[in-house]
Amino acid sequence: MRVVGAIAGVELRRFLRDRSNLFFVFVFPLILVVLIGSQFGAASSSGRVVISGADSSLRAALVAELEEAAVTVSYAGADAASEQIARGRVDLGLELTDEAAAAFDADEDLTVVVTSSSSGGAITARQQVDRALNALQLRLRQEAALVGAGADPAAVDEALETAAAQVVAPTVTVTNTSSISEAFAGASGFTVGASAQVLLFVFLNTLAGSATMIQARKYRVVARTLAAPVATVQVIGGEALGRWVIAMVQGLYIMLGTALLFGVEWGNLALATLILAMFAAVAAGAAMVVGSALDNDSAASGLGVGLGLVLAALGGCMLPLELFPDSLQTVAHFTPHAWAYQAFAEVTRRGGTFADIAGDLAVLLAFAVVLLALGSVLLRRSLARAI
Amino acid sequence: MVRRYGELTAVDGISFEIAPGETYGLLGPNGAGKTTTISMIAGLLAADSGAVRVLGEQMGPSRVAVKRHIGLVPQDLAIYPELKGRQNLNFFGRLQGLRGKELTTRVDEVLDLVGLTDRAGDPAKEYSGGMKRRLNIGIGLLHRPTLLILDEPTVGVDPQSRNAILESVEALSGEGMAVLYTTHYMEEAERLCDRIGIVDSGQLQAEGTRDELIRLIGGLDRVRLDGSGDLAAAADALGDLAAVEQVDVDRTGLSLAVREAPTAVAELVTRAIAAGVTLADVEITRPNLEQVFLHLTGRALRD
Repeated sequence: MRVVGAIAGVELRRFLRDRSNLFFVFVFPLILVVLIGSQFGAASSSGRVVISGADSSLRAALVAELEEAAVTVSYAGADAASEQIARGRVDLGLELTDEAAAAFDADEDLTVVVTSSSSGGAITARQQVDRALNALQLRLRQEAALVGAGADPAAVDEALETAAAQVVAPTVTVTNTSSISEAFAGASGFTVGASAQVLLFVFLNTLAGSATMIQARKYRVVARTLAAPVATVQVIGGEALGRWVIAMVQGLYIMLGTALLFGVEWGNLALATLILAMFAAVAAGAAMVVGSALDNDSAASGLGVGLGLVLAALGGCMLPLELFPDSLQTVAHFTPHAWAYQAFAEVTRRGGTFADIAGDLAVLLAFAVVLLALGSVLLRRSLARAI
Repeated sequence: MVRRYGELTAVDGISFEIAPGETYGLLGPNGAGKTTTISMIAGLLAADSGAVRVLGEQMGPSRVAVKRHIGLVPQDLAIYPELKGRQNLNFFGRLQGLRGKELTTRVDEVLDLVGLTDRAGDPAKEYSGGMKRRLNIGIGLLHRPTLLILDEPTVGVDPQSRNAILESVEALSGEGMAVLYTTHYMEEAERLCDRIGIVDSGQLQAEGTRDELIRLIGGLDRVRLDGSGDLAAAADALGDLAAVEQVDVDRTGLSLAVREAPTAVAELVTRAIAAGVTLADVEITRPNLEQVFLHLTGRALRD
């Protein structure tokens, strides 16, 4: 086992020492997660509002209402606010004058100047601002009504808070009748993008990395390895383990990176890692087949990238599988990517259990067994060629 | 040993022994069957017939434990260029079963032996050709093999590195290691090897020490005495000596065919001067393995 570990370790080291790999393994996947995440709606914001005007109780109350509704609030002077609105950097501008602030403190009528930008989020932001102002107005009327009815003005705030706490707010449940929307329910754009990129890059980079197997034969390192007290089966085991470790490093890096940087939730981590491990075994088997069948390392890299991209596209890693027409979905399920995609979707979006993904895992296991067996046979033949 | 590739018999009945501390050279042109022979000895290839025994144990591709006795230095640079020199040694050391402190110590010793201690932390691809060759040899030495096989280790090496490699090999046999050295450079075989096997067309044409091989062709040393004076008298005087087989006189001196010229040359010079010759130059030319090869195969070593 030590020999197998030594061969696997050196394969991982060689993979990581290749500078061209560093970009495609560590940087590019995260860039794609951002791009795809943005495409599918990365964050849920109810608009961007810039407020001009000095700090006041009016501003504090309004900002509290807006932020509770997930509106992004920023502050600027009047000129700067106008420029931000004109350039579309914010959806809406609110001008809170000193007079308005004083009127708010005196429970009097007041005027807030609202300026809309031409951005697509302006309408939503305007609705949120109107709701916030209505809420403030309602609060003022409630206070006035209580005081008018003889309540102690000092106790009005506390009374209203107590009342609010005792009243259960009505809830509205929205049932989405679109199957596609249901499929993506509970997933941010980043989550969809991240799991797809895990599959794309694990397979693509592991396949492209098969070139190092060919180089090892070319350098005669394989012959030297077989001249050591090492059995052929140990060399095959080391190569297979090496490919699998490379795939796992790639996958775990993307999972960890997206969780830390973009807050992607991977659901049950043990299940997500199990899916990755199974898919990595498939990728390792495919890499062994390519690295053993070909004798040209450049051709292996090219084939790895090409095959990796095509299978990823077919398997739902570029456009979500749920958006495929039925016929293409059937084709997609000839790729291991589609099965792993389904399993990830079940675990990350719907809190799936092992039983929910057992079928997907079984198919991935079958892919892995067939490819690893074929890869082993071909590798044994290629080792004979290397002597 | 016999090894065939289809219709081609690459190795056709080659048989020899190497004793501990002995350096045995396989001398032959490219394509003579040297690399196939050592591939069978190293357990990479199985012989179609015949057997290889190392310390009495039969060697073959499946004889994993026996391979521990062998250190193979392939003709190609069998190293990982992207890994550092030390990482290469660590990896192959692990394959040989070295672990922990023993591995670290042995890697340090080998780095020192091949003169790469200062560059151990650099990727091998940044080494010069000679340094890569030395690393290639160092890997074969890591586990202190009983038999070290060096397959043309100086091919493509600059003269300085080549000399350093030859000195290292000389030192190894001094430590009791058996060395099998294949080359098509006659000078290397003559310098390094205690015994030499001349290989051509997959067959061992002759085997023995350098002098034994030379004697196979009845070779005599040539001595040239350049000078002036009574050359004819000198020829008569020298022709009487037992070591001298033949004397030829020309306008500028004497050419002699002599047995063991290094021993006889002092007497030759003394007699020539006594006969009235003023010597300007003395040159000894000994027959070499190139001539032996030519005699045995009918063609030059580098054909």
